[in-house]
Amino acid sequence: MNTKMSLLRLFLLFVKIGAILLGGGYVILPVMKAEFVEKNKLISEDDLIDYFAISQSLPGIIAANISIFVGYKLRRTIGAIIAVIGVTFAPFWSIVLLASVISKYLHTDFMQGIFWGVGIGVMVLMVQATREMWAKAFEDKFAYLIFFAGLGVMLFTNLSPVLVVISSAIIGVIYKSLINRGRSV
Amino acid sequence: MIFVHLFYEFFKIGLFSFGGGYATIPFLYHIGEVYGWFSAVDLERMIAIASVTPGPVGVNMATYTGLTSGGLVGSLIATTAITIPSLILIVIISKILKKFRENFYVKAVIYGLKPASCALLASVALQMILSKTNDIYAMGIFVAFLTMSFLTKKDPLFYLGITGLIGLIIKTFHII
Repeated sequence: MNTKMSLLRLFLLFVKIGAILLGGGYVILPVMKAEFVEKNKLISEDDLIDYFAISQSLPGIIAANISIFVGYKLRRTIGAIIAVIGVTFAPFWSIVLLASVISKYLHTDFMQGIFWGVGIGVMVLMVQATREMWAKAFEDKFAYLIFFAGLGVMLFTNLSPVLVVISSAIIGVIYKSLINRGRSV
Repeated sequence: MIFVHLFYEFFKIGLFSFGGGYATIPFLYHIGEVYGWFSAVDLERMIAIASVTPGPVGVNMATYTGLTSGGLVGSLIATTAITIPSLILIVIISKILKKFRENFYVKAVIYGLKPASCALLASVALQMILSKTNDIYAMGIFVAFLTMSFLTKKDPLFYLGITGLIGLIIKTFHII
């Protein structure tokens, strides 16, 4: 595992990974395993699984996070930067091209019809994504309180979601500290 | 000035959105309301397009919203800004990887963030649904596909493909 990968090769590999991902970052693990563990033997499977697990609990885009971890592991900071540019390359240009086509036809009946229908599909996807998060969101009953408090703030005030995130993190630390103290007394 | 705002807002999303692609949406929804760069309907379009193009949804969302609000430069700034917090955090964390996951504070923060991130997404899902309640045809199709999504697990492309086709047929032939 000592062979150093050239930055160009690293970039091209991540361009390929970014282009393969469709609809979400969850298929990135098998793709990366094939490229970096099996084909090129550059990182161990254990490391990759660790990166995947930690990436999900870090802020930001999960697929970008894993790419940054792998890039950093292979070529330190410059590798991390190349990896994130690589993985965003194909999605970036595909959106830019697609958006310019769509904006041209946006006001046709044809496009309006598609978007009317797709708007319904998006609602289904939003509920589905919420349910997937819901399944992993609650460690105990107090966590439900955080959920409903957050939901209330978002629905009935105009406060920024950033505020909800920061206060829930603080509440988490206070709550866990209190529980810990309760146990040790 | 819009570029500064774009950078600042997408940097914040990169730093505060937890839980993957769709976690960026509540922040974008809020940005749309505050800056008026795009409407809630525009955002729905962006979600649909981000879900059917290659790449992580979060990157696609950043690129598209950046493009809508600030052109090509805007999309470049948004996409860069959303990944910079990850880049900084991971370069730091990589050095203390094993300890990081076992750390008490990290675990406590994640404990609070999981239900909160879910609440953010739920709030946008609810608001989207509420905004369409007066369109009974849309609600009917929605309920049908929602029921289906509870019964079987399908790819996002499936839902967007079918609903897009239904919309195309209904509106082109003026069925309703």
